[in-house]
Amino acid sequence: MEQITHEEKPSADPGRRNFLRALMGAAGAAAALQVLDKLEAAPEQVAGSLVRVPQAVADADDQADVLIRMQADLARALKKQPSERRWVMVIDLRKCVGCHACTIACVAENKLPPGVVYRPVLEEEIGTYPNVTRRFVPRPCMQCERPPCVPVCPVNATYTNEEGIVEVNYNQCIGCRACLTACPYGARTSDFGYTYAEGMPNADGLILGRDSAEAYERAASYEYSQPWPRPPGKRQSPMGNARKCHFCQHRLKQGMLPECVTTCIGRATLFGDANDPDSVVAQLIKLPNVMRLKEELGTQPRVYYIV
Amino acid sequence: MIKKTLYALGAVAVLLGLYGFYSRLFIGERDVNYGSYVTWGLWVAMYLFFAGIATGAFMLATLDYLFNVRLFKGTGRYALWVALVTMPAALITIAFDLGHMERVWKVYLNPNFGAPMAQLVWGYSLFLLTVIVSLILAARWPGGLSMKLTMGIGLFLAIFLSGGVGALLGVNASRPGWHNGMLPAQFPIFSLTSGVAVMMIVIGWFTPESEIRSQRLRVLSIAMIVLILVKAYYLWTDFSLAVYSGVPDAVEGVNLILFGPYAWAFWGLQLLLGMLIPLFVLLVPRISRSAFLVGLIGVCVLIGFAVARSNIIFPALAIPELKGLIDAFHGPHLNFNYAPSLMEWSVTVGVVGLSTLAFLLGTDLLPLLKQSNEVTR
Repeated sequence: MEQITHEEKPSADPGRRNFLRALMGAAGAAAALQVLDKLEAAPEQVAGSLVRVPQAVADADDQADVLIRMQADLARALKKQPSERRWVMVIDLRKCVGCHACTIACVAENKLPPGVVYRPVLEEEIGTYPNVTRRFVPRPCMQCERPPCVPVCPVNATYTNEEGIVEVNYNQCIGCRACLTACPYGARTSDFGYTYAEGMPNADGLILGRDSAEAYERAASYEYSQPWPRPPGKRQSPMGNARKCHFCQHRLKQGMLPECVTTCIGRATLFGDANDPDSVVAQLIKLPNVMRLKEELGTQPRVYYIV
Repeated sequence: MIKKTLYALGAVAVLLGLYGFYSRLFIGERDVNYGSYVTWGLWVAMYLFFAGIATGAFMLATLDYLFNVRLFKGTGRYALWVALVTMPAALITIAFDLGHMERVWKVYLNPNFGAPMAQLVWGYSLFLLTVIVSLILAARWPGGLSMKLTMGIGLFLAIFLSGGVGALLGVNASRPGWHNGMLPAQFPIFSLTSGVAVMMIVIGWFTPESEIRSQRLRVLSIAMIVLILVKAYYLWTDFSLAVYSGVPDAVEGVNLILFGPYAWAFWGLQLLLGMLIPLFVLLVPRISRSAFLVGLIGVCVLIGFAVARSNIIFPALAIPELKGLIDAFHGPHLNFNYAPSLMEWSVTVGVVGLSTLAFLLGTDLLPLLKQSNEVTR
């Protein structure tokens, strides 16, 4: 009997915590919506670039929603020369609830086919029953400062661009998968040319039948700011290529945060220019409870985890 | 009789390979079982295997044309022909492994020479050219300075390329099973062993019975005994280093080989068939006098080597780089449990058949090899 009481007690706490969290989340969402309304209302153009920055973002202060702050950070960073920026991602593991929204958003944004994933969320169960907890670790490309995947490419198809993002030149890649083998984080996947819609029954008369879904899948994605369609019957890049997260570089160029950052329901994924001392990420990576994956390898990842 | 049997087996193998060739060339890589986690599969293992035979056979050819070892006079042409038919086999299997094999030319026009793979592609091209030139010189001016020069270059390339394959794997610090610095040093020995094994087959099965043939086979047998012992020592160093280091991924890799789902291939094929049986047979002179048996031992050693190459490649890749990666996302080719698909086997069998037929046709049709046959008498 005592044992039952003992087991019930901890389950009550998370319930209250979850309720408060939900309440705060709702309040935060309402505040964010208000700000978003303002964003739409008053766009302003950044000097020297085509990126339009909403007034509310420009006015963002320390009290603003972190998304708004990061948007302001991004706008400031985009005014600089690319080589002066140092994009980093910070993932707060304390806030990640393992919803996989980032994974799915990334798949949608980059139109990733089956078998290709840029940002899986690793799940780990710690402890044994009844003392069990779960940890979620989103794993994008680490955009290493010293990437092991780059020197092994036989045709220079993968390289670090001037902003520090490790890119793949799809039209240069021969698909040897040497970079996949070299990556210590398993952050690259190979595109074997599938679509999610293939093999599915067609539901006539529905707006989203197989044909519509397949047409959507085969329409171009815009990674690296170029169109990459997947026409049926043709095996053209990015099919047959190594693929990886690129911090949504095509969105950054348009003044938008990476898709996984925007869609994170817990504001657990943060992004910005580490060279800007006022940016959210620059302030976070100074914290003592920050770590990077497999730091002992000396790859110097640009993705930091708050633990 | 042996030749006819091999012709028949080669033809059957090519027929079995047609499905794989068609599937790979016209459908693509969908039917393969390697993928984004186990990035390299059977074809890469077979590439290592065939390239090892080609470079090893060339090493053996230098006994005739570079070092003028009297006992092996007349065998060099066979060895060169073996190198010529097995190197394309290696290149076909590795080309099939590419997502965009139509872009291979980029390795020539825009190479990254810092990458072992680019060095190997250029090296193999030069090596293939060297083998062809060597064969031409062997037919026209076998004793000339140009022949010696070519063989010298070829020997350097054979050692460099064998070591380079080891480096291709060894540079991956992400794979503790490979990253130990021993691979580039071991692979030239593996190539030499493959070369000795293939020459045991060639001399044992395709040259006429004579005293000199017995002597050659005896020397090759003794060489094979030494090489098997060296190989066994390497196996011990690899496994013991991994286990004693205590690095979990390295230990897990060894466990997979010794006790994993394909442990039978290690114990049965690599160790028993490829090492222990050859060692036993070759150590007993009364048994090893049979040329047919020596040839058969050569086949056993090669089968063992094919498995050994696979055991170098697959287990090291079958260990997730990060815990949790196995279940984080599901989809085709996102799997750490690798077993070659039917299509991969089909291509492999077909390539073995093609190189076997090419070898046999060469011995029957090329005047150079017929002439060599005379010399060996």
